[in-house]
Amino acid sequence: MAGIETMPDYLVADGGSSDPGPVFLGENIMLGHFVRDELELFLTETRKRGIPMIIGSAGDTGSNFGVDHFVDTLKELALEHRIPKFKIGYFYSEVKPEFLKARLVAGKSLQGLGGFPDLVAEEIDSAARIVAVAGIHPFLKLLEMGADVIVGGRCGDINFTAAPCIAAGFPEALSYHMGKMIECASLVAEPFMGKETIIGTITQEDIRLTPYHPDQRCTIASAAGHSMYERETPYYEHTLGGLLDMRHCTYEQHDERTCRITGAAWEPASELRVKIEGARKVGERYMGFVGIRDPHVVNRVDDAIDWCRAAVAKRFSNETYELYFHVFGRDGVLKELEPVKQTLAHELGIVVEGLAPTDALAAKITDFAVRMFFLARIPGVKGTAGTAATTKQTMKSSPGYIWNINHTVPIDDPMELFPVHITEAGV
Amino acid sequence: MTRLNELASTIRSKNAGVNQVTFDIIFPDRESYDRVIRGGSITRNSMARLFNIPEERISDFVNFDVGNAIKFTIYRSRPNGSPGDWDVLGCQQYGPLTHFDVP
Repeated sequence: MAGIETMPDYLVADGGSSDPGPVFLGENIMLGHFVRDELELFLTETRKRGIPMIIGSAGDTGSNFGVDHFVDTLKELALEHRIPKFKIGYFYSEVKPEFLKARLVAGKSLQGLGGFPDLVAEEIDSAARIVAVAGIHPFLKLLEMGADVIVGGRCGDINFTAAPCIAAGFPEALSYHMGKMIECASLVAEPFMGKETIIGTITQEDIRLTPYHPDQRCTIASAAGHSMYERETPYYEHTLGGLLDMRHCTYEQHDERTCRITGAAWEPASELRVKIEGARKVGERYMGFVGIRDPHVVNRVDDAIDWCRAAVAKRFSNETYELYFHVFGRDGVLKELEPVKQTLAHELGIVVEGLAPTDALAAKITDFAVRMFFLARIPGVKGTAGTAATTKQTMKSSPGYIWNINHTVPIDDPMELFPVHITEAGV
Repeated sequence: MTRLNELASTIRSKNAGVNQVTFDIIFPDRESYDRVIRGGSITRNSMARLFNIPEERISDFVNFDVGNAIKFTIYRSRPNGSPGDWDVLGCQQYGPLTHFDVP
């Protein structure tokens, strides 16, 4: 909050990510419970000082619903606080399946990212919702149209920051690099403190990063460390319109709490390719939790799981379903990546995750699988009253989704999929 | 032999896109970074063996001198948040690295 008193030229914030998984995009729901509180703080404090505010990937997924929800909430807050009239610019990022299928028909390849095979029409049709990841372009357009507040649909994490820097006449390379470095705010500084403010300063020659929190410092180590955060490589960042090349960056300690960075390069793309994200529903989902304390069953937990699977397969032989056993205390987190094969734990917790096409069937199958743990027949067990401790109820979870679209598609115009709008708010 | 968590200042993992998880091992100074690089114990091959995966599942492996860091990225067995995945952010996959022995 106090960071705003340094009177920055812009307040920027990232509102979304693919990190929470495909459920939120698929179901068109938001993950955050504090959106209104945060928007209230951002809006009242920036409007009081006349500081423009830019938010990217609104509503966690950048869906049209997320954008509308943010815009509506901002309008309500503006009335509530009797903020003098101002302009909200916003853009959408959802993509119609017809657009993508037309590209396929035209012979364009929709290339997979991160190991995904190229996209086929069937996957386009089966996606519940698809968003495209915007570049700087709709942000630039809305700034040009006089927006005081911008609510972006899905966009690259670096672009809502790069856009105002580029609009102000700073070099593209430094502007995009600024976007990269402050995308996660205080994570670029040390020691670790989540959700604190970072102040980014750009000139024609360099970018400088200073944490607002007095107990944090931005060091060469913390900045260089962040440059590789949540990316496959520390050297490149792809975005709509080009490639940020960080291979030749130099980091210097500018003052005790500020790191200065130079040397990023920007290579415009020869072909415009936009990233698209889509989620396909797999089924309704329930979960049950099972505890095991008998050391004999702990040692032979795979036999108990096999018993459950076999019992479910026999009882529901004509049904389609998916069943997963997360064995916490052994490999619940890492699964097949776990090097520890023999658990030393004296008890195990097992989450049974069951999916089926209907709610009733998902509930029935998951609950049945949980009960079968209780009844598992493992030779040599001393207990005869039940081989697992269970809670009373199998719990309803969100429907299951998978990311089925994680691709790029060629486009002619970087604004093509991102219609912009301006509306008025306040009194 | 020394455990990696006695030398590194940061050991972390995190999603890099929806189908990859990236691991960062950051050392506090050039000396400890050089020691581990010279020791040659952290390679594409040794990391594949640690996590029981074929080397092809490691998409990138970088000794990042500027950051005194070693970074590698693996393909997930399924995209984040799919049914059956219990680390939607990929942020606990680094666990086995902390006790990895380095000379």
